[in-house]
Amino acid sequence: MSRFIECIGVGKTYAAKTGPVEALRGIDIGCSEGEFVCLLGLSGCGKSTLLQMIAGLEPTTTGQIVVAGRELDGPSPATSIVFQDHGLFPWMTVQRNVEFNLKARGVARAERAARAGEMLALTGLEGFAERYPHELSGGMRQRVGIARALTTKPRALLMDEPFGALDAQTRGRLQGELLDIWERQRTTVLFVTHSIDEAIFLADRILVFTPRPGRLSADVAVELERPRDPRSSGFLEIARALRDALGTEGGSE
Amino acid sequence: MVPLLGLLVLWQVVVWAEVYPSVLLPSPGKVAGAFGQWGGTIAANAGASLLRVLVGVSLAFAVAVPAGLLIGRYPALDRLTDWSVQIFRAVPPISLIPLAMLFFGIGDTPAIVLIFLSALWPLLINTIFGVRGIERTLLKVAMAARAGELLILRDIILPAATPSILTGLRLAIGGGWLTVVTAEMIAVKSGLGYMILNAQMTFRTELIFAGIIVIGAIGLLGDQAVRLLRARVCRWQDGLVSG
Repeated sequence: MSRFIECIGVGKTYAAKTGPVEALRGIDIGCSEGEFVCLLGLSGCGKSTLLQMIAGLEPTTTGQIVVAGRELDGPSPATSIVFQDHGLFPWMTVQRNVEFNLKARGVARAERAARAGEMLALTGLEGFAERYPHELSGGMRQRVGIARALTTKPRALLMDEPFGALDAQTRGRLQGELLDIWERQRTTVLFVTHSIDEAIFLADRILVFTPRPGRLSADVAVELERPRDPRSSGFLEIARALRDALGTEGGSE
Repeated sequence: MVPLLGLLVLWQVVVWAEVYPSVLLPSPGKVAGAFGQWGGTIAANAGASLLRVLVGVSLAFAVAVPAGLLIGRYPALDRLTDWSVQIFRAVPPISLIPLAMLFFGIGDTPAIVLIFLSALWPLLINTIFGVRGIERTLLKVAMAARAGELLILRDIILPAATPSILTGLRLAIGGGWLTVVTAEMIAVKSGLGYMILNAQMTFRTELIFAGIIVIGAIGLLGDQAVRLLRARVCRWQDGLVSG
């Protein structure tokens, strides 16, 4: 079996003042090309750490991560990451922010502008190219973050609680837009969240993590038709199963 | 403006009351007349002082900003230089005047060296501070994009540090201006510092007062100029910070 993203026995231990802290232990997960996978867990379960390691931003302590058939030693050109706090450069216009990943790859100016324009259109940001991030709402900023991540035509989009800081309404709208983009671009998505509803609404498959140390506790396939109705019985059933898998503290919203 | 006007009134009252003989404390009117009488001299000396500060601060900027960006970016460089920076910046540049005269004689060179030194540390320290304050996510974005080191320094580190660099520039210009006036009283034969010392020796107190007013005014203008520059260059900060 060849999976697009594969973690084999991945563990992470931090050196803290009080001694080593084990954040993740023995993670074996995989993700096929085109799949939408959510990493679900309470805060402190290491799900974000795992995503950062898959993004090549953090080294693993044990095990290995393979992305697009290559063992990782730094960020892979086949992936792009979207952060919760959007990571936009405040001194760059939206246009320049979206172009940044291409500029980092040495793409020529004209092509950069064209590709950025395409992604701005895809994310509904036409007309905002010359604005600065501080002039945009939280939802708009995150659209810029997503547009920037898509410019390099990544085969996998890694998303670290991208909608975590948004209000419920904006979050719901962006979830819908993300599914649209995913269906059109057919990129693999690895999406970190602590929200059970968000995970069920979005994912083909949900990987549940439990803390201290972070471990995989369940691997749940979601076979509901999209768009999914949070009040449907299928939805509620999966939610109940996920709440059980998360442990006694239950899901957080 | 109210305190300034108050001071002006008080000054005139003290002159009328003849607390000091008028050779020591000229009236505001007489000082105003000095601007007409010695206008050319004042302008020439102010120009000389300004040019020294401009050269000294520019040199300091050219050295401190690149050095600060690198020290702020690379912890190893920071560890290497931290103590030296702390020690050197604790030395008031004015205390180096005797040495500067021994090494560079009398003239522009010692003054510019001293201005350079007084401008260097605030610029360096504020640049380093600005680089350290950068939001960590932004560096992660750059790393994930596999941006080259040069691009990171130019497009991310430098703009992120710019507000802090301009704060450093304000301090540098202020410090440089203080230093130039002092240095000119001792090690140079031109400039506003030299002019007011010379006026004291020739007992032209109204010229001393006129010189002090010009020194204050130029200091204020320099400071305002950098504030305006900062407001222009860092417009992206609007809404991120207040004030």
